[in-house]
Amino acid sequence: MKRWLMDILCCPVCKGEIELSVTEEDGEEIMEGSLRCPACSVDYPIHEGIPNLLPPEPEGE
Amino acid sequence: MSLYHSEVYFPAEDTHLLLEAARRVLRPGDQVLEIGTGSGEIAAGLLQMADRIVATDINPHAAEMAFSRGVPVIRTDLFSGLSGRFDLIIFNPPYLPTVEEERIDDWLEYALDGGEDGRRTIQRFLEVAPDHLTLQGRILLLVSSLTGISEVSSLFSKAGMIAFTVAEEVCEGENLVVLLGMRDLCRV
Repeated sequence: MKRWLMDILCCPVCKGEIELSVTEEDGEEIMEGSLRCPACSVDYPIHEGIPNLLPPEPEGE
Repeated sequence: MSLYHSEVYFPAEDTHLLLEAARRVLRPGDQVLEIGTGSGEIAAGLLQMADRIVATDINPHAAEMAFSRGVPVIRTDLFSGLSGRFDLIIFNPPYLPTVEEERIDDWLEYALDGGEDGRRTIQRFLEVAPDHLTLQGRILLLVSSLTGISEVSSLFSKAGMIAFTVAEEVCEGENLVVLLGMRDLCRV
C-alpha cells in the first residue's frame, strides 16, 4: 500500500484512527506491516502490499 | 490477464458499460473510490485519468489481482475501513436476485448475490455512501432490470439523493443501466 492511503483509512469497527507499522517496503509500496487500532487493541495486517481491514472473526464460536 | 483467478468476477458487458460511463463523467482533480473492484478492470482503466484513485474488495483474490495491476487496493467490506470523502464513487454491485438454493459457496458469490430482491448490498451501500461523498460528489452505480431500477432509484431518494440514467445497454434479456447519483441539494 502507498503511504497516502493513511489519509483515508480508519478502524473498520470504531472508525477511529489507526497507526501504521512497517516491516517491509519496496520503493513507494509498503509490502508488509500492520495497522493498529489503539482504541480496539486490534492489529490489522498489511500483507503483500494489501491492507486487510476486515474485522477479526468473533472468538469462541 | 494471464493469471486469472476463477473466484474473481471476469470483466463483462456491465464492467465495460460502467468503465465507459466513468471515463465520461470523471473530472480533472477528482478523488475516486471504487467499491468492489474485482479484477480491478475499472480502477486500472481510470488510473491515468484520476488524480487519486483507491479501490476496495472483500475478496482476497480480487484484491491481489487489482493490486497486481497497480490499483491501490484495500481489503474491506464496502466502506468499512475508510474515513475519507470522495468526488466520485463507482460501484458495480452484486445485483442478481438470488435465493438460498442458488447460492454458490465461494468468493465469487460476493460479486453476484444480491439477496432475494437483488438489492441487499445496494441498500447497505446507499445507507453509508453519502457519508463518503464530498458536497458535490457523485455516485456511479450499475444495476440491471433484474434488480428493479425504480426500486433502486427509491433507495437513492431515501439516502437524500437523486439519480438518473447515464448509460444503458440491452444484454441477453436484461437491461444494464448506469445510474448517476448525487445529493439532492434542495433537500440538504
